[in-house]
Amino acid sequence: MSLKNKLNRLKPHISGGKPLASINQNNMGDQIPFIEKWNEENVFPYFFDNTYCLVREVEYSLSDRHGNYQFADFKEAVEQWNKERFFSHPLSAAGHNADDLFFFDTETTGLGGGTGNTIFLLGHASFQGEKLIVKQHFLPHPGAEVALYQSFLENVNYTTLVTYNGKAFDWPQVKTRHTLVREHVPKLPLFGHFDLYHAARRMWKHKLERIKLNAVEKEVLGYERKDDIPGYLAPMIYFDFVERKEPEGILGVMEHNEQDILSLITLYTHLTRQLLGTDPDISAKESFEVGRWFSYIGETDKAKETFSSLSESETEESQAAKLALALEYKRRKEWEKAAELWKAVADGDGKCGQSLLEACIELAKVEEHKRKNTELALVYTERALGLLESLEPGRKRDRLLGECQKRKGRLIKKTFPGQAHISSI
Amino acid sequence: MKMRKSLQEIMQELKIDNKIKENIVHWHTVEEKLAKTVPLPEGIHPSLKAALQQRGISELYTHQRTAYEFASKNQGFVAVTPTASGKTLCYNLPVIQRIIEDPNSRALYMFPTKALAQDQKSEINELIQEAGLDINSYTYDGDTPANIRQKVRKAGQVVITNPDMLHSAILPHHTKWVSLFENLRFVIIDELHIYRGVFGSHVANVIRRLRRICRYYGSDPVFICTSATIANPLELAEMLTEKEMMLIDNNGAPSGRKHFLFYNPPIINKPLNIRKSATLETRWLAGQFLKNRIQTIVFARSRVRVEILLTYLQELVKNQLGPKAIRGYRGGYLPLERRTIEKGLRSGEIYGVISTNALELGVDIGRLQVCIMNGYPGTIASAWQQAGRAGRRHGESVVIMVASSSPLDQYIIQHPDYFFSQSPETARINPDNLIIMVDHIKCAAYELPFKKGETFGISETEEILEYLTEERILHHHGEKWHWMNDAFPAHNISLRSASQENVVIIDQSDIANVNVIGEMDTFSAMTLLHEEAIYLHQGTQYQVEKLDWEEKKAFVREVDVDYFTDANLAVSLTVLEEDRHRELKATEVGYGDVSVRAMATIFKKIKFETHENIGSGPISLPEEELHTSSAWISINQDSSALSQQRIEEGLIGAAQALRHIVSLFVMCDPADVHVVPQVKAAHNEKPTIFFYDRYPGGIGLSEKIYASLENILLQAKQMVANCPCSSGCPSCIGTETASETAKKDAAILLALFLKNPDGV
Repeated sequence: MSLKNKLNRLKPHISGGKPLASINQNNMGDQIPFIEKWNEENVFPYFFDNTYCLVREVEYSLSDRHGNYQFADFKEAVEQWNKERFFSHPLSAAGHNADDLFFFDTETTGLGGGTGNTIFLLGHASFQGEKLIVKQHFLPHPGAEVALYQSFLENVNYTTLVTYNGKAFDWPQVKTRHTLVREHVPKLPLFGHFDLYHAARRMWKHKLERIKLNAVEKEVLGYERKDDIPGYLAPMIYFDFVERKEPEGILGVMEHNEQDILSLITLYTHLTRQLLGTDPDISAKESFEVGRWFSYIGETDKAKETFSSLSESETEESQAAKLALALEYKRRKEWEKAAELWKAVADGDGKCGQSLLEACIELAKVEEHKRKNTELALVYTERALGLLESLEPGRKRDRLLGECQKRKGRLIKKTFPGQAHISSI
Repeated sequence: MKMRKSLQEIMQELKIDNKIKENIVHWHTVEEKLAKTVPLPEGIHPSLKAALQQRGISELYTHQRTAYEFASKNQGFVAVTPTASGKTLCYNLPVIQRIIEDPNSRALYMFPTKALAQDQKSEINELIQEAGLDINSYTYDGDTPANIRQKVRKAGQVVITNPDMLHSAILPHHTKWVSLFENLRFVIIDELHIYRGVFGSHVANVIRRLRRICRYYGSDPVFICTSATIANPLELAEMLTEKEMMLIDNNGAPSGRKHFLFYNPPIINKPLNIRKSATLETRWLAGQFLKNRIQTIVFARSRVRVEILLTYLQELVKNQLGPKAIRGYRGGYLPLERRTIEKGLRSGEIYGVISTNALELGVDIGRLQVCIMNGYPGTIASAWQQAGRAGRRHGESVVIMVASSSPLDQYIIQHPDYFFSQSPETARINPDNLIIMVDHIKCAAYELPFKKGETFGISETEEILEYLTEERILHHHGEKWHWMNDAFPAHNISLRSASQENVVIIDQSDIANVNVIGEMDTFSAMTLLHEEAIYLHQGTQYQVEKLDWEEKKAFVREVDVDYFTDANLAVSLTVLEEDRHRELKATEVGYGDVSVRAMATIFKKIKFETHENIGSGPISLPEEELHTSSAWISINQDSSALSQQRIEEGLIGAAQALRHIVSLFVMCDPADVHVVPQVKAAHNEKPTIFFYDRYPGGIGLSEKIYASLENILLQAKQMVANCPCSSGCPSCIGTETASETAKKDAAILLALFLKNPDGV
């Protein structure tokens, strides 16, 4: 039996890699296939190392819009970071010019990391004076990676990458593929990196089921795509292109990639406004998340500022904001201020049992340890116990219940030393 | 107060008790062996020397010294060493010395299981610490936390892993391991003998990929292997690594006196040659030692046997409080459970363990005094490995092999010379099995594009690359083939078995606390986890209430019944293509590709103790299909003049006898080759016996059978002829046929196959 016959027989046992639909073969000649069509779409070859990659360039003016913002708004956003001299935030552009940021996204032949997952499109955008330039480097066949990375790295002179999930995916994958051609092309520069995916998760996970860029565009940035090619089809389209060389499908993928990059600019602009308090339409929930973020990075003053204004508002978040604010005071050991807020929650008409519970427990602690008011501490402990008993059993609830019971025992002992043994029976 | 008896006292009783004496058909004593030592090598780093001396090592055993010398001359080798002969120093010493000399050097350790890797990490780290050296050694496996993975990749000088991890996590991400691959000096392959059959053939291909990547980064590591005793360690090492190797077998480690007893259970029914159950005898023997708290390990051949013996033996400690001192150990237990058992054995808290061959490997459980094998473990190498679990460097130990009534066991127990003088089995691999190799060529193409004319190991690649291009998995451009698919090929390829998915076993005895208690490969699950099956786990019985075949989940509930279940597998077989053919006088022999369809049909409920059949039920699971290679033999003319009925029974009997003999002569796991009789084979309409490889595409076993079929038939014929039973018994042709003439007919057919038409 010939080897190939045998292989065909054993096909069901050979795993991994589904065969793709059959398409006519088209051999690559010396000429670049469909070059006129490419040129019509502003795509031109870049020659290097006896081969070439294809480069597409598009320009936008600052007055062009993408979703709720103009590109000019981005420049303003960068200025605002600088004006506030707010360096500590992970998304802070303080110290940078608008032109220093580099919006970046890739398209690959597969999902997940791994050496064999090839990047076939490297797209980026950056501001150059009064213009926004989008540039995309495309791999016309898998043997042209040296040309692709040469073309990409030739003019990369920026300080900070801006991506969507690029820390986990795009940039490590660039490193992986770059390693394979590292002897032939320039080194990868070191960048700062703003990964807006993590920012978006922080801000909107309460309202978006999946924090995909598409969803953020639609629900947050006021941008809806028309005739977009879904990202998951990109590998198939690329495999088809490699066979047939017909640019149509790839032009669609380039369009998709460009939209992704432009949305990064709008998203950064929007995040800046929400973080720096210049978005008049920010929701209470969003404000609360901004406050939490400040608190997380140790910007206590900014966190307090955000929570204070929120706690005075007539929103559902005001309770949560009071508790968060109280936590900030607690961290600074400003017990009286913290207690005042907890008391406001405990005495308020809060419907949320969780907030009430937290407030009662914290008040019990303050009364017991700081104010040394055992009786009041006992009152709050009893209240907390009442709330806990109405909750479903669970690990956290059980732990809290245990703690409260212990506290109760201790408080009773302190209040009525002679009767301690009675309560323990 | 009753005094506990010592090992010597129990042995004395075995020797003099008339009833028992009869059953011990062979008593072999391996005398004490003294250590052969040589001084530590000259150039060894002072702090390393000090660390060794601190552990009481001021001299090396002869084999350790040879190993050190080879390694320092960059000569790869395989060291054949029995259990507890200090094999780890054979590699740890040269590796640490090299890293001291050149801290950039890297070494990759490969152990067949995670557990062994953990053990070895502690061992090497102790040595490093005692020497006060600054050497980073890490394990890299599924349990390595994400936050230290990066450190392992960049700074791990010794990386300890397993072949599966190398295959699916390290090689496909080689760009993250540049510093390892650029500086890789040593690759350590421990327990080399494990890499045989399908698994070995896969691992040989993983090593081809490893060496391909090393070449890309400009390194060419030296391979150091250690192996248990097999017939062809050097050949296996060279086939696996495709490098020239040296053999080290001058073992200088001492060993205590060891008694090896062959125990054949008494015959209780002469005409049927039925012996007392080996399991019951094992239980009794183990009980003698365990009652006296003598640390004993019992090896059973299957998971079910482990659980049955455990149920019996745990009776001994049923009144004891706290964790049980007699435990089970096998695949399917969760890792944490296993670790606890290993620790208990080392500390002596656990003095009895019932295990499958899972404990054959070098998992550190200390040294026990007694080892009892419930049945011959299938290969001589494996028997010696298991025997190695008993025996300390000083003092006596005893190994008892209790024969079952299977023909193979009876053959071995009646031929002690065969066992003690025969060189152990040859380990076979077939790295060029097409299915296995194509799978790894895909992985390799994912890792780096193939160049025109590039070989994969010693194999040509062009035809396969073209096939994969036609399948639209690779893309051919210029002089190279590139991966052009959105899949991650290594994820779909399991090194360990043909079936890639495991069935998860879920205990729902407590509805509020549903628990995963183990897992099992799909092929075993067909016969062990079908609905109503009794599944045993740590001696607890569970009944399978629901088997969700689609989702690969078995839901079980704890029960307490006095039976276990045993399922039948029906097999049908068709020849797809005949590659080779030869005619004998009365028969024809063929070799080629076949399609095998297997289906679990019914199960029987079998009572404990009496082993009587107390009920049965159907199994409704889909058929599994297998394409593989096969050898077969058919009777050409109808010269035997037997009736159709008698031919059928004769074939079944002959196949049964062959099934047992074949693994002895092809040197494989008995489960790797299947034997199927057909009265009228579909392809030639003749009475035929098929032998096929259990693995898709075959691993070269059937080919070997085709070549030496006459010898195998001759041995089978002699075995049937020498069996004392009158008309067939479990020790020769089995008991599936009940007719009086079955044994004679099987012999006639075997003779006929051997081109002697006149019969016995």
